Amino acid sequence: MLEWLSKMEHTKPLALVIFVVVFVGILLYVFTGKKRSKRLESYKNIPFLDDESAGESGGEQKDKGSQDG
Amino acid sequence: MAHPAAATTQYNYDIIKKFAVMALVWGLLGMSAGTYIAAELAFPFLNFDIAEITFGRLRPVHTTLVIFGFGGSALFATSYYVVQRTSQARLASDMMANLTFWGWQLSVLVGVIGYMNGISEGKEYAEFPWYVDLLITVTWVLYFLVFVLTLRRRSQPHIYVANWFYLAFILATAILHIFRNLSVPVGLFNTTSYSLYSGVQDAMVQWWYGHNAVGFFLTAAFLGMMYYFVPKQAGRPIYSYRLSIIHFWALAFMYMWVGGHHLHWTALPDWTSSLAAAFSILLLLPSWGGMINGIMTLSGAWEKLRTDPIMLFLITSLSFYGMSTFEGPMMSLKSVNALSHYTDWTIGHVHSGALGWVAMISFGSFYHLIPRLWETRLYSVRLVYVHFWLATIGIVLYIASMWVSGIGQGLMLRAFDDYGNLAYTFIESVVFMHWPLVVRMIGGMFFVSGVVVMAFNVLMTVRMAKIEQAALEAKIAAKLAKAGV
Amino acid sequence: MKLSHESIEINAGLMIVLTLIAISIGGLVEIVPLFYIKDTIEKVDGVRPYTPLEQRGRDIFIREGCYTCHSQMIRPFRDEDMRYGHYSLAAESKYDHPFQWGSKRTGPDLARVGRKYSNAWHTQHLNNPRDVVPESIMPNYPWLLRNELDYADVADRMRALKLTGVPYSESEEEYQANVEQFGKPIADQLDINTAEKNLLAQAQAEDWDGDRSRLTEMDALVAYLQVLGTMVDFSKYDEGYFAEFR
Repeated sequence: MLEWLSKMEHTKPLALVIFVVVFVGILLYVFTGKKRSKRLESYKNIPFLDDESAGESGGEQKDKGSQDG
Repeated sequence: MAHPAAATTQYNYDIIKKFAVMALVWGLLGMSAGTYIAAELAFPFLNFDIAEITFGRLRPVHTTLVIFGFGGSALFATSYYVVQRTSQARLASDMMANLTFWGWQLSVLVGVIGYMNGISEGKEYAEFPWYVDLLITVTWVLYFLVFVLTLRRRSQPHIYVANWFYLAFILATAILHIFRNLSVPVGLFNTTSYSLYSGVQDAMVQWWYGHNAVGFFLTAAFLGMMYYFVPKQAGRPIYSYRLSIIHFWALAFMYMWVGGHHLHWTALPDWTSSLAAAFSILLLLPSWGGMINGIMTLSGAWEKLRTDPIMLFLITSLSFYGMSTFEGPMMSLKSVNALSHYTDWTIGHVHSGALGWVAMISFGSFYHLIPRLWETRLYSVRLVYVHFWLATIGIVLYIASMWVSGIGQGLMLRAFDDYGNLAYTFIESVVFMHWPLVVRMIGGMFFVSGVVVMAFNVLMTVRMAKIEQAALEAKIAAKLAKAGV
Repeated sequence: MKLSHESIEINAGLMIVLTLIAISIGGLVEIVPLFYIKDTIEKVDGVRPYTPLEQRGRDIFIREGCYTCHSQMIRPFRDEDMRYGHYSLAAESKYDHPFQWGSKRTGPDLARVGRKYSNAWHTQHLNNPRDVVPESIMPNYPWLLRNELDYADVADRMRALKLTGVPYSESEEEYQANVEQFGKPIADQLDINTAEKNLLAQAQAEDWDGDRSRLTEMDALVAYLQVLGTMVDFSKYDEGYFAEFR
């Protein structure tokens, strides 16, 4: 095993294996687990957070108004 | 009374306004320059024997103005807006932000005036002379600091995905800029410098830079724009946050490999360009993942496309993004590239990305942004429709004519007659390209007129905002006076 | 800290580091070997740095943005071989700072344009392309004949190029090394100490722009165009020899 690793020409398949494993690992991590999914998806509301805090009542209304022109 | 002043005092909108206005100014100039050089190719007398406006000198003026002037300023504007709004924090330093503004505008201005006067390093999209390169480096370091320091002030723990893309763009651009522009100046008072690399290494560094200028400057950063403005304009969150995680890391990792596909069949070793082609094809996956993520954000609210021209801009831009990220990997195949390389097909491909994706998503984002910056409504929604159709017709004419011209020339140059001789001389292919070049010029004119309409709309919006503001102040003053009496 | 994507999302520093790693790998893998692998550049005789006059011509080529319409890279296809000549070798641009392979052929490739046309043809063509090619869409460059060539800084330019690795010589030792590598006549041309003298001599050696009494930018540009692709004598090599390096 170690001997196989030490050969220069084996770097390409090795790199391929590493990258594929990492990629599949990220995929599995991101898309499995109900709780994790829910938690991750909750972050997509970040852009809308400041509407409530900055707008209080008026800001948000104003935003909506200008959307429709 | 609402709190219209809340956002303006909480955030630094001033710097965003400045960048947004300059984006439009450079955009208008740069796209006009592009249309003019398109006209020069169709009607060469337009060079008028004036050195400053010949095609060779104006072409870098065009690319620099649209990529760095328009695109760059649009990215500064939107990134400063997005990072503040999603962090709910004011920009870290108004002074540093202002320096990035002046540094950037000065770089673009000095650069293009230089090109017209023959000061160019002769490296595509990196023609800036060495002293402008230095100014850009300083500006960029300041930009990075402002951005990261603002992130550190964020009032909630998570960094929103749009900011990841902006951050990757800032980091990648810094690396690309520095390594592409390593050169030895002839002297302290000499405008010329010579690239540190030569020949095949210089070529590889060039297209590593050139393609990633596309990948990070014109794609990743504008995806940051997409991840904020599409959800905001749609009034609903991005389709899948998990998909955006995959999208981000895959894109950041894979883009850097693909530059070599600009050098198929050249003196670059075959393994390099083949590897680049392989990654180019893989890149289709994250690209389309991102496109789907953007478009599906509208899932269940498709009727917005009928009622909201801004949404129309944003979604159309994503469609063009999908189209050009399909065309790109296809053109990176060695067999296709053998025909398409060196021809107008490449030019058409770049513009389906540049006009269809980059410009359209910027226009859409600006139509969302401008009224919010000046706290008013758009002067005319109808003019947004007019702009949309002018732009779309322009792009279609542009791309279609470049397909004809590029594929036509490619086929003519490789055609043989019955005796095995070349069927056409080079100049015959030039003659063939005349009409496609005329149509391309007309497409450019459509697109520029769209931008003129936009500039007018924005101008009137800002004027209206100022009048409203004055009226409001007068009203308050009257009230106060009344209360005082 | 628990290992999760949130750890990255809430930590700007970690995000910067990981992003830097992700974006660095591709460039490192593809670019770094090109500086070490000797096979990148073929073993071939004849390629030499540009003479002072040619280099000034090259500067003008870059100044006018010729690369926006003309490539200098012939690909190994039958039609390109017939139209332009032998495909370009990496070695042929090894002294090109920056490279000028180009990316677009609005006009034909120039990698082997040298000595295909006469000096008079080039001068006439650059002055008004439609005089010799009626359908041409190239701009006129009449100022090349009007402008005196500025060669005051040519030695400085060669010094800068020397710093990037081009073997121009300044010391006796460097000169001797060049004599060994390129032979005496060429080594003399590459000597920075006699740069101006060499430039003037080459400008007089041929009638580049049709008027020997004046040294114009046209002289330099034509001298540059006439050397493109002429350095390697392909008749000396077997067919297939260069394929070994691809």
